[in-house]
Amino acid sequence: MKKVFFSMAALLSLATVLAFAPASNWQIADKYTVRFAGGGEVGGIFKTLKGTIAFDEQNLAASNFAISISVASINTGNALMNTHAKSDEWFDAAKYPEIKFTSKKIVKAGNAFQVTGDMEIHGVKKELTLPFSFQNKGATGTFSGTFTINRSDFHIGKPGGDVEGNIKLDVMIPVIKK
Amino acid sequence: MLKRLLLLGVVSGILAGIVALIYQKVYSSSVGADFSNIAKPIGIVISNIVGCLIAALGYWILNKLLKAKTEIVFNFIFMILSFASMLPVFAAKLPLDVNAPELFPGLVIPMHFFPALAWFTLEPLFIKNSD
Repeated sequence: MKKVFFSMAALLSLATVLAFAPASNWQIADKYTVRFAGGGEVGGIFKTLKGTIAFDEQNLAASNFAISISVASINTGNALMNTHAKSDEWFDAAKYPEIKFTSKKIVKAGNAFQVTGDMEIHGVKKELTLPFSFQNKGATGTFSGTFTINRSDFHIGKPGGDVEGNIKLDVMIPVIKK
Repeated sequence: MLKRLLLLGVVSGILAGIVALIYQKVYSSSVGADFSNIAKPIGIVISNIVGCLIAALGYWILNKLLKAKTEIVFNFIFMILSFASMLPVFAAKLPLDVNAPELFPGLVIPMHFFPALAWFTLEPLFIKNSD
């Protein structure tokens, strides 16, 4: 009886430890890309991204992201457009230097995943659910996701004009296991 | 007359091209931004020669129409077109992997005046006032 009790206790302890074990930590590698497209000629990249990623496909409850993108690193390929994008009419890079995303919940969605979290752009915080996929290659991996963000939700620019309301974002983040 | 004008066009185009290449080298080393993949040296030289050849043809046509007032009208048009050619530079969209696109106009805009400068410098050697 004692043996059974101790075996059960050990199994329960192991299950508890596994459930609350931290997810694998990943370091963001170089060659990440954050592309955006807002219709026609409007598009570009953000060149600087940093953050922390803890992700385990088998333990999504313990997985989390905290990503920040430097607004000043925007590059549309055109000097005037870059200046305009950083101005107070659009991103106001001086006042809001970073775009931040902090995850709250990650769930499996078919062959991919969905992350729900707080997106903060231009000083406006909004909860969003974004789809992403993860290619696990053992010691390395790649997160990628394509989604749209309505710029009016974050008070970026004036409605209408050459830039569409929905901005398509294409994010690819290669990672290395820590 | 046309032969001399075309020769002036080629020579001033080559001179403008050489000056543009020197300027590109100096600009790149001083600001640390390299745009040689976009403004290729061969492209710079060819566009200067083509620009000056078009100027030569323009001069020839104006001379047929205006005779004595050719030079002053031509010089005005050449300068206005040189100024106007700056505008597309500000609208140029560079590849996204190019760093500091804001430094690109500083490289290219002065180059747009080199054909006119080279032409005005060499013109007295090729076109006599009596022509």
